[in-house]
Amino acid sequence: MTEAPAGRPSGAAAAPPSIEATGLGWTYAGRRRPAIEGLTFRLEAGRVLLVLGPSGSGKSTLARALAGLVPHVQPGSWQGSLRVGELEVADTPARLLGERIGLVFQDPDSQLVMTRVDDEVAFGLENRAWSRTEMTARVPLALAQVGLSGFEHRSTVTLSGGEKQRLAIADILAARPGLLVLDEPTANLDPPGMYSVFEQLAVLAKRREHTIVLIEHRLEAALPLADDVLLMDDGGHQLAFAPAGAVGREAVELLDRSGAWVPRAWTGAGTSRAVERATARAVERAKARAVERATAPASQPAARGGRPADPSALLVEATGVRLEYPADTSGKRLALDAVSVAVHSGERIALVGPNGAGKSSLLFAIAGLLRPAAGTVRLRALPRNGEAVEPLRDPSRLRSSEIAARIGLVFQDPELGFVAGTARDEVNASARAAGGRTGTGSGGPDDLGADGALARFGLGHLAAEVPFALSQGEQRRLSLAALALRPPAVLLLDEPTFGLDRRGTEAVLALLDEGRTAGQAQILATHDPRLLPACDRVVALDRGRVVFDGSPAAFLAAPPFEPAEPWRDGVAPGPASTPRTAVP
Amino acid sequence: MSVLPAALQPTRDAFLTRTTPAARLVAGVVWLVASVVTLDPIVPVRLAVAAIVVLWLWSGLPMRRIPGRLAPLGFAVLSLTVFSILLSSANGDRTLSTVAQIGPARITGPAISAGIAVGLRVVVIALTTLLVFGPSDPTRMADSLVQQWHVPDRFAYGTLAAVRVAPFMAGDWATIGAARRLRGLAPRGPVARVREAGGRLLVMLVSSIRRAERLALAMDARGFDSGLRRTHFREVRTGWRDWLTIAAAIAVAAVALFVPR
Repeated sequence: MTEAPAGRPSGAAAAPPSIEATGLGWTYAGRRRPAIEGLTFRLEAGRVLLVLGPSGSGKSTLARALAGLVPHVQPGSWQGSLRVGELEVADTPARLLGERIGLVFQDPDSQLVMTRVDDEVAFGLENRAWSRTEMTARVPLALAQVGLSGFEHRSTVTLSGGEKQRLAIADILAARPGLLVLDEPTANLDPPGMYSVFEQLAVLAKRREHTIVLIEHRLEAALPLADDVLLMDDGGHQLAFAPAGAVGREAVELLDRSGAWVPRAWTGAGTSRAVERATARAVERAKARAVERATAPASQPAARGGRPADPSALLVEATGVRLEYPADTSGKRLALDAVSVAVHSGERIALVGPNGAGKSSLLFAIAGLLRPAAGTVRLRALPRNGEAVEPLRDPSRLRSSEIAARIGLVFQDPELGFVAGTARDEVNASARAAGGRTGTGSGGPDDLGADGALARFGLGHLAAEVPFALSQGEQRRLSLAALALRPPAVLLLDEPTFGLDRRGTEAVLALLDEGRTAGQAQILATHDPRLLPACDRVVALDRGRVVFDGSPAAFLAAPPFEPAEPWRDGVAPGPASTPRTAVP
Repeated sequence: MSVLPAALQPTRDAFLTRTTPAARLVAGVVWLVASVVTLDPIVPVRLAVAAIVVLWLWSGLPMRRIPGRLAPLGFAVLSLTVFSILLSSANGDRTLSTVAQIGPARITGPAISAGIAVGLRVVVIALTTLLVFGPSDPTRMADSLVQQWHVPDRFAYGTLAAVRVAPFMAGDWATIGAARRLRGLAPRGPVARVREAGGRLLVMLVSSIRRAERLALAMDARGFDSGLRRTHFREVRTGWRDWLTIAAAIAVAAVALFVPR
């Protein structure tokens, strides 16, 4: 086939447009409530806008509207006006919008189409009918703009999360759009990956060749890039539109009350409120323990830092665990190499480390889902009142019904664990399997237990809903509620606050507190430094080895990674985050 | 966390890595047809030998990793062969002499040869598939089909996107099973196991559809299927190597079929 005529003259970049919204609203087909309503603001050409708001505030909908996916691809009803440059979005064909506007999504794995890096960058250009000579010239330039020069022939599956997301940005930059819209581009990334994306964005922002709209939960890194901010509430309404340095106190308070994360610079606090509260609770607990220790006999748990003297408090003991990747992947590297961890009753451990460091592998090994090539994992249930402490046992040899009482795992994608048609049945299914209160399965009084659990997790009104139809935060709470009637001795959580706003994070932490008070041990694999002060201990993994095991304060003071800064993003280092100074 | 083996990719430039996928597809179909038109085991034997030689010399694929990759197939080949021999209608033919007697089962010579032929066919199919798809990545296959055979973009690149997300489905499947085991809901007994597999499949379907929707939206956002006629970054043109490949495949198939033992 011969070359088709080019869609646009070679090398011509679209000029950065201004954005003007007037009473902009959108309601998705089949929904009663508008996703966004009454947005009115004007962003000047070449500026960077940061959009802040809690979950469900319509931030993604605004991003889709700017790219023309709403209203041209997704069905629903449109109100008001949105002008990008001289184009009225609702009246402009999607193709024309697509030439000037680029949209980067959250999940790198569901936006890359091709298997090779250069093909991937060219994909959007092919769609826009660029000639082959233009594409050949443009692809390396776009890769250079995101620091991926020389990656042309790499397979996209071999890239790290940060590299994939930078590639997704290169895909968009290649077509030289004037407006760049990024919808939580770093949500799936580990701290170094997040920083590499923000570094590239900072360079782009400085050049002023694009108008940029950025939606982010990682505020401490995002705020310095922003010229203007748009604050939204949980009903999709505009709270404020202002220059980033001149946001009114009232607007900040409204944003805080809506449940969103608020940048530290605006609250003046050392850490966010959620963390402050969690820290305060940790202090209370520490005090209570100190009192207990002072009054208890000498055999009681003696030391802090996760090594109590009482052997019966030991719930998980992993010794010298070595885990291999399946043959013929990633060479000879080990997923876990001589990893030893002891987990005690009532302890909350943050498991941190870059992608591929072995966090999930360790969670899976503790749960007995992966059997170590060397070393042992043994665990036991919490002793019930008056019962003797059971011996430590190998989890991979336990029956499914036995393991449920000992280990619970909340996956990053909770819906993969769902088995039932309603939220209520979801809770009952777990309770029944563990021989809990709903043994008969006949409904009636049994459901009181399930409904009680749902209510406690703020899901009472959703008992009859299909689990798959719930929001991300609701799904995570449901998977916790499912464990509530027969709580496991050890709770493992993979990225428990992924995609949650401040209110969602607080809700999850509050629920975890209840379990911990009852003696449950909790291990949180997380990329979010904001969670660390709410934990008793941090275990850091790097390339399959434990590189740190100690207090959160010690970790934040000197993260064992290079560069260290990303690992304490969003949390003030130093005295502000150590429990001693916090006051409830 | 990746629990899946890495894809088998060529480690060096070779004759077949420079042919177009469409040509290899034609050549592969010739061999597949040749291997199934007769029950004589000599045909798949000859084709399998030819396939291994081509794999070795001209595919660019790392030979060390191929046995490991085909190992799961070994069980299928073995059981197919055994059952074809045991259940062959030739065993009932009283005019044939008995080669072996296992309990009540009588086994004849022709049954053995037909059974071996069935097993060998599977081997030929596997090796041929490796020769067709191994030397280039799936993107080249889609490019080739679109440019050489004028397969619609939507179909070719849509399928390509599906191929790219397939490994995630395997990951989902494993995660779903793990989640159920930990919740105490792992099935006991064969009936429960079958019913449970249905449930797992449903969850996997839901999550796959979600992922597909996200991918489709991302493709739309980049102007896919916007009505413009797409251009092609990588040109795929039929060359002399393609014709040579097809001619050689036909010649080998003819030798395998028609040269007497």
